[in-house]
Amino acid sequence: MTVRPEVAQRPEVSPPVPWRQPVPVVTRLASGLTLATHDLPGQQVASVRMVIPATLADEGAGREGSTELMTRLLDEGCRGHSPEEFALALERQGIVLGAGAVEGGVSVDLDVPVRRLPDALELMALAVAEPTFPPDQVSRILRNRLAEIEHENSSAPHRGARELLRTLWAPGTRAAVPTAGTSESVAALTREDLVARHRSLGPADATVVVSGHLADLDVRRLVEDSLGTWLPGAGEGVEPAAPQAAGGGPRIVLVDRPGSVQSELLVAAPGPDRTDEHWAAFPVTAYLLGGSPNARIDALLREDKGWTYGMRASARPRVRGGSFVVSGSVRADVTAPALSALLDILEEAHSGFSTAELVSGVDFITRATPARWATADVVADETAALAMEGLPWDFPQRTMESMLLLTVEDLMRAWSRIAPEGWTVVVVGDADTIRAPLEGLGLAPVTVVPA
Amino acid sequence: MPLDYELHEDRLPNGLRVVVAPDHGVPAVAVNLWVGVGSRHEILGRTGLAHLFEHLMFQGSRSVRSGEHFEALMAVGGRLNATTWFDRTNYFETVPTGAMDLALWLEADRHGHLLDAVTQENLDNQRDVVKEEKRQRYDNVPYGEVLPDLYATLFPVTHPYHHPTIGSMEDLDAATLEDVHDFFRQWYRPDNTVLTLCGDVTPQAGMAAAHRYFGELLSPEPTVHRPPIALGPLSEPVRFVRVADVPHDRLTFAFRLPADPDPVVLRAGLALDVLGGLSSSRLVRQLVRGSQEALAVNATAWGLVDGASIAFLSVDVASDAETAAVEHHVLTELDRLGREGPVDDEVEATLAQNERGWLSSLAALDERADVISHSTLLQDDVSFVNTHVDELLAVTGEQMREAAASFLRPEQCALVSHVRGQTEKEGLDDRAS
Repeated sequence: MTVRPEVAQRPEVSPPVPWRQPVPVVTRLASGLTLATHDLPGQQVASVRMVIPATLADEGAGREGSTELMTRLLDEGCRGHSPEEFALALERQGIVLGAGAVEGGVSVDLDVPVRRLPDALELMALAVAEPTFPPDQVSRILRNRLAEIEHENSSAPHRGARELLRTLWAPGTRAAVPTAGTSESVAALTREDLVARHRSLGPADATVVVSGHLADLDVRRLVEDSLGTWLPGAGEGVEPAAPQAAGGGPRIVLVDRPGSVQSELLVAAPGPDRTDEHWAAFPVTAYLLGGSPNARIDALLREDKGWTYGMRASARPRVRGGSFVVSGSVRADVTAPALSALLDILEEAHSGFSTAELVSGVDFITRATPARWATADVVADETAALAMEGLPWDFPQRTMESMLLLTVEDLMRAWSRIAPEGWTVVVVGDADTIRAPLEGLGLAPVTVVPA
Repeated sequence: MPLDYELHEDRLPNGLRVVVAPDHGVPAVAVNLWVGVGSRHEILGRTGLAHLFEHLMFQGSRSVRSGEHFEALMAVGGRLNATTWFDRTNYFETVPTGAMDLALWLEADRHGHLLDAVTQENLDNQRDVVKEEKRQRYDNVPYGEVLPDLYATLFPVTHPYHHPTIGSMEDLDAATLEDVHDFFRQWYRPDNTVLTLCGDVTPQAGMAAAHRYFGELLSPEPTVHRPPIALGPLSEPVRFVRVADVPHDRLTFAFRLPADPDPVVLRAGLALDVLGGLSSSRLVRQLVRGSQEALAVNATAWGLVDGASIAFLSVDVASDAETAAVEHHVLTELDRLGREGPVDDEVEATLAQNERGWLSSLAALDERADVISHSTLLQDDVSFVNTHVDELLAVTGEQMREAAASFLRPEQCALVSHVRGQTEKEGLDDRAS
């Protein structure tokens, strides 16, 4: 029998060891393509991210969704490969390929075991440069988007997010419409629309990010021989548009979802993007309000009241412009008091944050960052986001350094820029039971729309 | 190409198994604890207790006040959480290297001395939070009842996998402080726990820290564990139909597999991928791209330890398609796979996709630590993280066929059908074969 060891004293935390954000090695290829590589020893799966400038404003009124739906067809057949053949060719190499669009650009993402990167880049080049848009797959992807909208309609968070776009941004602007379009706009799309969207893309201002254990590979040559053969066409001079706020003061839109046992709350206002010179204050503010169980919102709504599994506050930068959003679901019968308490917390934040809060928020974000940057996919994603937003390669490092200098006054100043005209509120829930209590709050007019 | 992650293991005198997996790529350490208790250990009338208990682990312990666990670790850059599953409960944080000791101290305090701090108030509050979690994940989402229906259809009422981890509202209401105390004393013990440290730590420092903070924890006299009772596949098909407010009909074809670590679990999972787990899978080719009768097909296999594992294939049926025809097609293909097996291209694609998926899951320190804790606790196999990829790539098409022929036959299927409709009603009936 061994002697029972003593109970250890609570240990001190030693200060973080110096860490530098991995900065990519950047070169420019003949086609105009920028190549950014990260060699990450031990990362066995390589991540490739291609960012191609594009603006959704070009889609035209009534044809929204053509860019995003075009990207969903990139791997549904390309030169020399039927959709079936291409799917098999990708999967025999262990490739996962995805693509999507935002205002500002198209992204094409690929992950593959490092030893298969050469073949993977060639297949990716086919998908990016020479998709064939087979008519039967075009009709399927359009039809699947309509089905996806039905799924979104039945899911409170998705339905709420869509209503928030429509409410937060000015009517008639692209930002007010989902990236992948509405049932009306998607129904109007043709194969020619998608082909035209693809033709509008080109490598001129595009960026390819490659990360992983790359030591044994000549990545520049591999990219030159694959994605680098995509010839300059269009795609130059894209200027992404900032969304235009709807304005008009606070409002509550209630999406009627009969029988809901919870209500989804979305409270939002326009916010900054990451090019904002005071950006560093916003992630900290969001964290202090709704980034942990001890943050102001969950400390009350979850840990004290037990009304929610958890709410999140986040600064959501777009390529240009952005929003600040608090969202989560609460028990249906406390919808009105929960919304009221939530808005009180957001208002109370104008009185400022304590130094202890500031330090806890800055320390969390800055000290958690190294572990996040450990994998090839995160490093590639973060780097691709910099390319998409036109930010310098060391922007994350600079932001961390700015965060360490923040004062409580900086947080107050940042917060004073959010929702000066009041909050836009979307509630998805059972209107029969929650409409009257919401109106009873007297906060703003309540408009009811069907799910 | 075999993997060679460095692994060091030890067992403390109190029975705690410790694995240290050094990786100095970034200045952080993933601290990962698996406790050998999950919803499979719950008794009738107390479903959901393992998960509710997990929430209470964040509400303070002998030297830690309520909420301090999250607060103290996040304040130094830690990302943390916990999850509960059929077979185990998992507590984890990824922290900067300099905070590893604090993480271990906090973990040891709650894993050794939780009951000093549990109060009725905390229990009541977290019961409410868990009920909101259940509403958010199961009750207020389309298809939220598919998995609970699947478990209940696939397993008899007394089986450990018959009910979901979240439990029922009635049982959550019924949980008492005494239940919490009994549960802790029975299951939360060093000899029922694995601690993995993965990241910027040396084997010497990691082991020393494990001894320092967990050494004083006691394992009471061992409790007698109920041995798993092997449960074979269904002997005849079962069907469960729920009319629900869902956008599209969803068919879920579920099967019982042998318990982990039977190699058939892997082989049957791969066989199901041949049918529906890949973009080039048969049912995707036939029903999604081809006839377009289906919107999506997915395949899942979960290795479990209590006498059986679970595998299922789900198909979302297009609005204008005949659900019965889609069902017939899938059953026909299940039968054909068992008779003819996959072709070489299918084997190659399935293995390549699974290899990439596996390697991706090892890329991050926290997921790699989780893999190590899993195999160490439930399979007593520390080196699985290194050997699995070779085991995976050695699987042949014939082995997939055999697994399908033995465990994925139409007559072994529990079919859970969620169909569109306004009124909710349910019924259990045997399918005509």
